[in-house]
Amino acid sequence: MDKQRPSPPSWPTKFLAWFLKEDYYEDVQGDLEEEFQVKANGSSVVNAKRWYTWQIIRLFKPGMIKELEAQDSIEKETTMFKNYFKIGLRNLWKYKSSTVINVIGLSTGIAAFVLIALFVKDEISYDRHHEHADDIYRVTVKNYTVDGDISRQWAFASAGHASRLKEDYSEIAYASRFYPWAFPDINYQGQDFLGEQVIFCDPDAFDIFSFKFIAGNAESAFPDIYSLVLTRSKAIKIFGNDWEEKGIIGETVTLSRSGNEAPFKVTGVIEDMPDQQHFHFDYLAPIRFVEMIMGEDAANNVGGNYNWLTYVRMSPDANIPKLTQQANDEFWDKYIGQFQSGADARDFYDFEFQPLLDIHLTSNLEGEYETNGSIEQVYIFSVVGILLLLVACVNYMNIATSHYSRRMKEVGVRKVIGAFKSSLIKQFLSESLLVVVISVPLAIILIILALPYLNDFVGKQLIFNPLIQTDILVGLLVLMLLVSSMAGLYPALFLSKINLVQALKGEQSMNSSKWNFRSFLVTFQYIVTIGLIFAIGVIESQMSFIRNSDPGYDREQMVSLSLPRGDYQNETFRNELLKHPNIEKASFSSRIPTGRLADSWGSRFFKGDSAIATSFRLPVVTVDKYFLDTYGIDILAGENFREGMETNLQQDTIVTGYYIVNRAASEALGFDEPDEAVGKKLGYGPSAGRIVGVMENFHFESLYSEIVPTLFLTRDRYRRISLKLRPENIRETLDHIENVYAQFDAETDPNYRFVDDLFNEQYQQEERLGSMIKVFAAIAILIGCLGLIGMVGFIIETKLKEIGVRKVLGASSGSIWMIISNRFLILIGIAFVLGLPLAYWFMNDWLENFVYRTSVSPALIIMPAIIAIILTLLAIAYQTLKATKVNPVECLKDE
Amino acid sequence: MKEYQLGEFEEIVLLTVAILHDDAYGVSIKEDIETRLNRKVSVSALQTALRRMEKKEYLKSEFGEATAIRGGKRKRYFKVTKTGKAALDYSKETRMKLWSAIPDVSFEYSKAWISSALLPLPGLPNS
Repeated sequence: MDKQRPSPPSWPTKFLAWFLKEDYYEDVQGDLEEEFQVKANGSSVVNAKRWYTWQIIRLFKPGMIKELEAQDSIEKETTMFKNYFKIGLRNLWKYKSSTVINVIGLSTGIAAFVLIALFVKDEISYDRHHEHADDIYRVTVKNYTVDGDISRQWAFASAGHASRLKEDYSEIAYASRFYPWAFPDINYQGQDFLGEQVIFCDPDAFDIFSFKFIAGNAESAFPDIYSLVLTRSKAIKIFGNDWEEKGIIGETVTLSRSGNEAPFKVTGVIEDMPDQQHFHFDYLAPIRFVEMIMGEDAANNVGGNYNWLTYVRMSPDANIPKLTQQANDEFWDKYIGQFQSGADARDFYDFEFQPLLDIHLTSNLEGEYETNGSIEQVYIFSVVGILLLLVACVNYMNIATSHYSRRMKEVGVRKVIGAFKSSLIKQFLSESLLVVVISVPLAIILIILALPYLNDFVGKQLIFNPLIQTDILVGLLVLMLLVSSMAGLYPALFLSKINLVQALKGEQSMNSSKWNFRSFLVTFQYIVTIGLIFAIGVIESQMSFIRNSDPGYDREQMVSLSLPRGDYQNETFRNELLKHPNIEKASFSSRIPTGRLADSWGSRFFKGDSAIATSFRLPVVTVDKYFLDTYGIDILAGENFREGMETNLQQDTIVTGYYIVNRAASEALGFDEPDEAVGKKLGYGPSAGRIVGVMENFHFESLYSEIVPTLFLTRDRYRRISLKLRPENIRETLDHIENVYAQFDAETDPNYRFVDDLFNEQYQQEERLGSMIKVFAAIAILIGCLGLIGMVGFIIETKLKEIGVRKVLGASSGSIWMIISNRFLILIGIAFVLGLPLAYWFMNDWLENFVYRTSVSPALIIMPAIIAIILTLLAIAYQTLKATKVNPVECLKDE
Repeated sequence: MKEYQLGEFEEIVLLTVAILHDDAYGVSIKEDIETRLNRKVSVSALQTALRRMEKKEYLKSEFGEATAIRGGKRKRYFKVTKTGKAALDYSKETRMKLWSAIPDVSFEYSKAWISSALLPLPGLPNS
């Protein structure tokens, strides 16, 4: 096209294209343009444009404008929708009780679903914020017994693993260890910050994880081994709110532990680690520093001593199964070869590269750094959330279809006037949308009210604010449409199907004895209700089984605390504590019951003079001679530790050992009777000695795991003291403990815990699960009951005449009640047969997590059905009584 | 006999289409009316008349060539149909009937309002 030629203004052209009949557009616009060009050449372009526009405006008239079909129908539709909404609102207003039931049902259903969705969304979002999350793996180590069974899988690796793996395999681009066990004190200009969580790591850490630097950067983070990167909140804690103005980079802080001090320079500040991360570190410092202190040997250790949390970032195209295979084939041979005993190291160790994104939900390895979530819990809650939403929708369907008798005439009239089936469907769908639109704000209020409790309960900071979080806003809108179509579609189809003639005659075309889709819906509701009641029953009975089961040791009024730091004699500390009359007993140990049996050495059992390595894992707890007495554990055979029975476990010296084993260990060694084990020779780690006693089994770990063979020995290396208190004046006794502790260690607080609390905490997750399911099940049952009441009300209404006739013929209220209930009882029966096996299967799966579990008693099985029947009969009784009180004359007089 | 309805403007347009014969499209018809009769014609009025007569089957149309000056859009050429010709004939005939029925004295004052109808009619091409 010639560039000199002026072009006609564009918006009138667009306007023309919009309104002019398509058939006319081409030549008319062509004509206009041609003339425009002539005019533009003849007079001015401006005039031509004005003319052009004016002509188009004048063309906008009937005859030229497109057939109004499309616009017309939109107008018709909006008018009809206005009508639907008006009728809908009138109906909602007229039948207030069913409206209230529907709105309560839907809003609680939606609120519960959204709350669960928030929780689930949070759980599955862990660690995803790291840029290379898909390529990050944690190096975990599996330990095998002589028999080739996995004994433990550690979340940690050995110190020497990271660097060697990185060097040997090109797929591993970056590798970093984290050493989290230092807890040094930090001193800055005279201010002390005790036991801070300083984590030592390799410089690769910044290439693996995406830590956001606010000050400094990843490259300059670790210029030397005295560097310190801290989080924003720690920067505020140490340097004050104005740390940014102060310019703290380069400031020196002193790290000290056990009398050793070292100055560290602040090299960077990173954002606090988000909640959705499976570890939280406050400070990062170069791991070279720890290596320097521990020495080269410790840093190069490749077997055992799993204290080094190790992460690697693979190259994006790495083949992980192949790499795992390769590493396990080569690594152990290359770096360990054979043990002293002659066994191949490769038979006892395996690496497993655990994807970062799996850690939070599916990993529960030995020594997880923080408590992880559980995928089962996520599944269970997802199922419950969806069920709740479905129950709420089904509720709506039930009530809406029971409206049948009331809406029949309306539908009939609409059909006579010419309503299509599709427009009736639209009408009923818009009614359900209306109810949902009313329910959602209520649901939002419920969510806002309930969220603090949920947060408290699951220990999260979930946020709900649709005004800011667009994803939640969009989600809510989608949910609204979904729920309204899910809830409204069946009633819409059902009501639009009504036969015209019957509808206008007022006949009952729906034979009430016929089985229809609604029976199916009611049955579904019963299945959910029965299933949830059953689940509550099982969880409750398992929890009470555990609460009431005897773990085999005394946990009442038992207090345990970590030992004070500093230089003192254990015995002095113990004696100071025992001075108080209300402290009955005191005992030192490395771990206490409710803890984990994580320490173990290899053990050998002597038959004659030849030692055979035991095939099972034998963990060790170091205790003093008061331990058994304090925890009330019986000696079955042999004797307790006496003075001088200390075992000095040092790696290089063979020493004499005195061991007490539990009954499980004695049986594992092949002795049926505990007596037989006493006096037998046993080698444990670098020590060799005899079994001096056998103690009764008790649950050192939680009831999740079986009682494992365990070995106890005395050795002056303890971490905790356990105190048995008298029940009187506990508060005062605790004050005494604090005072004594302060005499030995003025800097830290005695972090004492009651053992029964610790015991209960082992099952906290189940308790939490139980209470949450209880709350949500209660909501589901509530919704179901409401629906039932609403539905029965309508059924009775349609049967008022029948009831009247029956009463005239002499039926009692009771018999009428039974007639109406009958049908529901059959549905309960079906639901029971269908729902219970399903729930049983589901719950049995859950019970299998426990080694020690309750059996599902017949009462537990019958109970849900009985509750469902009672609730149903009550709901029906309420409505029936109302109906039977009416004088039969009232309902029979017309027609 | 069939009734032929023709408005005044319609008749002019129909006649112009006939005059232009093979070259009757939007712009040429408009120009012709504007120059010959010295009156302003809006695209809107012209198109309305054209389309209405097409509907009445006095005209038929087909797309012709496109030109650059039209922004690449094709012209729509109009032609008078047999019915169109009949309508014109009928119109002329009725008018002539009326003419002949006018008594001479009437001309004194009626000259003004019939002037526009007194056009020199060129010969109609046979369609």
